[in-house]
Amino acid sequence: MAVPMPSADPAEFQLVIPSETKYLNLVTGLAKRAALVAGLDDAAAAKVSIAVDEAVTNVILHAYNGEPAHQVELELRFTDQALEVHIFHMGQGLREDQVVLPDPKEYVMHPRKGGLGLLLMTRFMDEVRFGETSGRNECCLIKKIS
Amino acid sequence: MPDLSIEVRDAGTVAVVLPAGFINAHTVRDFEGALEKLVAERRFLILLNCERLSYISSAGLGAIMGLIETVRENGGDILLSDLSENVFAIFDTLGFTQLYRVYKREDEALAAATAPGQGA
Repeated sequence: MAVPMPSADPAEFQLVIPSETKYLNLVTGLAKRAALVAGLDDAAAAKVSIAVDEAVTNVILHAYNGEPAHQVELELRFTDQALEVHIFHMGQGLREDQVVLPDPKEYVMHPRKGGLGLLLMTRFMDEVRFGETSGRNECCLIKKIS
Repeated sequence: MPDLSIEVRDAGTVAVVLPAGFINAHTVRDFEGALEKLVAERRFLILLNCERLSYISSAGLGAIMGLIETVRENGGDILLSDLSENVFAIFDTLGFTQLYRVYKREDEALAAATAPGQGA
């Protein structure tokens, strides 16, 4: 007899892409669809899509310095409570204590180019975490299903 | 279908830019190039009609931010119109709706841009 899977156990799958921005549209399209499958509405799914765009762009342009011969792994985990997007890479890792978010009010007073991607990620997701898992750098994005 | 195509047309003194598709780190050079070309031609009154824009990432916002000072120093402005709910959320979340004049429709934006005492 099959043992029922506990409801909190995630369903998950992976996608590995080369570190090239031409695949961003593919990734963000997948993220949006995944968010809809997870039960989020269209507006929330669009936000997940943008957050994933920003996170993967950061990996390609900053962690890998724009070098195309690397890999970016995305792992999507579906639970009853949330959609989790884990982004793994072997480039230069970002850690929690290195994250500096621009102050939107200050930004409006003194506009400048750059620094907005992390802000969008944190505003559009419920949790954004950076760290290291099994020797790989990880950015974890979590969107709760209300 | 390309990720991004950009149409530019004239509406009197206003250059109307219509990006269609996605502005992200991959396509931002084209978007930035279109805006820089207008500035090089001394077209400082620019309306971004976003009705065909699916989304814009921070790369695209940075491109706009990179030119706004030059445009305004020359008596012009960058206005926005026809933002979808999702695109509006991106601009609004980052405070861009306080930095730029945003209109529901292109005709409203054009009227505001060309009102006496406004823009180039």
